[in-house]
Amino acid sequence: MSIWPEEQQVVTAEGDLDTVDMTVNVGPQHPATHGVFRMVLTVDGELVVDCEPYIGYLHRGLEKLSENADYRQAMGWWDRTDYLAGMCCEGAYTMAVEKLAGIEVPERAEYIRVIMMELSRINSHFMFLGAFGADVGSFGTSFVYAWRERERIYDLFEEVAGDRMFPTYFRIGGVTMDLPDNFESRCRWVLGSIRQGLEDFDGLLTGNEVFVERCRGLTPVTPEQAIQWGFTGPMLRATGVPWDIRKAEPYSVYPKIDFEIPVGIQGDVFDRFHVRLAECYQSVRIIEQCLEEMPEGRVLAPKLPKTLRINDGELYMPTEGTKGEYGVYLMAKGGTNPYRAKLRSPSFCNLSALKELVVGSYVADAIIILGSLDIVLGEVDK
Amino acid sequence: MSAEAVIGEPEIAALVRERLPDIPFEASETKTYADLRVAPEHFLALVTGLRDDDELALDLLRNIVALDMEEAGLEAKYHLYSFPHGHAVQVTVAAPIPSCELPSLTDLYPAANWHEREAAEMVGLVFTGHPDPRNLLLEEDLRIHPLRKAHPLQKAEILQGIEDGPPGVEV
Repeated sequence: MSIWPEEQQVVTAEGDLDTVDMTVNVGPQHPATHGVFRMVLTVDGELVVDCEPYIGYLHRGLEKLSENADYRQAMGWWDRTDYLAGMCCEGAYTMAVEKLAGIEVPERAEYIRVIMMELSRINSHFMFLGAFGADVGSFGTSFVYAWRERERIYDLFEEVAGDRMFPTYFRIGGVTMDLPDNFESRCRWVLGSIRQGLEDFDGLLTGNEVFVERCRGLTPVTPEQAIQWGFTGPMLRATGVPWDIRKAEPYSVYPKIDFEIPVGIQGDVFDRFHVRLAECYQSVRIIEQCLEEMPEGRVLAPKLPKTLRINDGELYMPTEGTKGEYGVYLMAKGGTNPYRAKLRSPSFCNLSALKELVVGSYVADAIIILGSLDIVLGEVDK
Repeated sequence: MSAEAVIGEPEIAALVRERLPDIPFEASETKTYADLRVAPEHFLALVTGLRDDDELALDLLRNIVALDMEEAGLEAKYHLYSFPHGHAVQVTVAAPIPSCELPSLTDLYPAANWHEREAAEMVGLVFTGHPDPRNLLLEEDLRIHPLRKAHPLQKAEILQGIEDGPPGVEV
């Protein structure tokens, strides 16, 4: 005699049970959202069927503030957009104002700026590598790996500018002050340590089968989709489009410098990770060339006006930020303030396609996909 | 305006006149890109042409800037880039007064979605045909337009939550 009565049957969820979609609120205070970002996921079991992102928790009115401040005063706020790479944001804003006002920058200052911007880029990408490793599951290790090198870069910034995260080192017409005496040797030492850090990351993550299996083939994006959704920067290059504003619409001294554009193959999460890792090596190359070729001379343009007034004019100045195209639109109508200042933030555009990327994936993968976008909320919310 | 090239115009403007002869626009130069100023009734036709024409192929919408030009009403500036040809252009369109309505570009460029939501809440433009016209950066029920020139810098916080009304209505 069987112990199971005949009338007892296995109940499957598909056949006999009603299932309900559940709403999961992620954020705004959540370690996986990398800042004050909120997304409401509708899940059917483990599958995400809908995703609604909410942003704006960090909106500080950058554009309105800039329109009400002197061209030079506003710089401190632009630092605080992409706070992982303050120098890149300063660079974009100052270059836009200089182009609008027709101010020539001494060549030494241009080289110093490029060094600082590339150090910022490495800094930001290390933050991504560390946080992304944590998202995927190597919690403590990748984070502290990233922090070692970031700390050294911040120390270097402190020596140069007096501040770590928000240096406000650039000035309209150059940079505040010349580099300290031992900068070149210190910088080369930091670059050596960055190379070592990248090797370590390569071994920890790229050499890790679990990590690679987890990321490979997750939400592949075609170049057409990426362009439609307005992806730029590493998100676009991961799909195989070799488009970098430093090459496509060059600014500063980038045309004189030899570097390559790393691209991915299928635009999946692994490619996005790997493109950023490879970009760090290129940034190290750029800095080494700048140290070699940097001329002597002044670092701030002579005869700058005491109060900067710009007559009618407008421009949209795109630069290659760490997350993609960091564009600054300025309109001048005479006077000391810009009539309109607008930031085109790359994270904002990359994030706007989150729904398309996340729907259809598992909940655990949604966190990784969000991590692979490498958003920084200061820049999304302006 | 005719389809003939105007002397002194930026190169890209001449190309646009050649490829899209039926659409009138005024061309000028900014410090970086050429600017094409178009009337709102021709705006959608121009952008569709810019995107779909093989010689122009402006396939990336990089940015939308919404401006409050005070007496001249509201304006929007669109920055487009072409991956196949590597050229870029700025399209300026002034929204009609008092409706402030412009057609939404979300069907042509899905990237326009969040840019238009931001432009709508910040200066009060209304994008007809937008699939999701809610506030993006501001609170959901807030109906103030902080980037209007008439909006004070200091009192924004005090005003929060008091005004209510349909989007696009000046408070």
